[in-house]
Amino acid sequence: MSGAQPVLWAPGHDGAHDPIAAKTFGFWLYMMSDALIFAALFAAYGVLDHGFNAAGGPAAAQVMHPLGAFWQTLAIFASVLAYNLAMVGLKAGSRRWVLLGLAAAGLLGAVFVGLESVDFLRLVAQGAAPERSGFLSVFFILVATHGLHMLFGMLWIAVMMLLVLLKGFTTENVTRLLNLRLFWTFQASIWVCVFVFVYLRGAF
Amino acid sequence: MSTHSGNPLTHPEVMLANAFAYCAGFVVSIGLMAAALLITLLGQGLSYLTFLASISGLAMLALLAQAVLLFRLDLSETQIWKTVSLILVVPLFVLSIGLTAWMFHTLYPRTMLNFMAMHGGGSMM
Repeated sequence: MSGAQPVLWAPGHDGAHDPIAAKTFGFWLYMMSDALIFAALFAAYGVLDHGFNAAGGPAAAQVMHPLGAFWQTLAIFASVLAYNLAMVGLKAGSRRWVLLGLAAAGLLGAVFVGLESVDFLRLVAQGAAPERSGFLSVFFILVATHGLHMLFGMLWIAVMMLLVLLKGFTTENVTRLLNLRLFWTFQASIWVCVFVFVYLRGAF
Repeated sequence: MSTHSGNPLTHPEVMLANAFAYCAGFVVSIGLMAAALLITLLGQGLSYLTFLASISGLAMLALLAQAVLLFRLDLSETQIWKTVSLILVVPLFVLSIGLTAWMFHTLYPRTMLNFMAMHGGGSMM
């Protein structure tokens, strides 16, 4: 677009307006604010991860299973890889490749959520439910907030598969696929913090 | 921020897709997390601070690898404002956690000494 003045957004402006870049940057800023929600939860975890807040119940070392959390790590990283490879398919213009990548990402995301659910059920069966102590409350809230993001992402993936099937690679769908890529990859980055600072640090 | 019009599949953000970078990001992230797991399982002789510094360093490297290889952040026209906004948010993320934990770390001994003396205090970050 040589000679054109770049415009972030302007109604009816057709010059150098880039609707895809404007929307992905807007969504990126939203993800940055989402990161600060997780910062608040990590801060609460840092405060409540103290023997006093275990209230006589199990402390971190008794409830953390780092090896089990590592299988979750494998599942979420593989899911993000599958989604990103779908974006390579998008670059090649292959609808089949994109759909296959999205399906694999959703399936691996379901494996992650399944493993997390099993871990939660195991803890509740052992009497380590969220209401047992302040420490367990914040542990469940922090990990489940990430899990809810994963569930929402899986729903979004299903919707995008439908939209790609029905409408193909329109500008709107490509923008949504790029935004979902940011969202899905962001979940892996948050999980790095959860795995290291909750599961590994707690198990030491 | 890039400027673009026309076929969405030729948009610069679509063209950033790179299978090699994504696979490398996956392998590096898994490798670093496996190393952190091994330190946790086998490094029981380490002091708490050494352990925390080790796994924190590995987490930082994994996050950096994801930023570069998965998010494809760099200083190009397409990505520079995402990179800048992330660099501006990271200190807020770290400070909000660090300051809160530090404030309560000093609050507990000042307000709960008697309780902790009776019942024993747990470890604190």
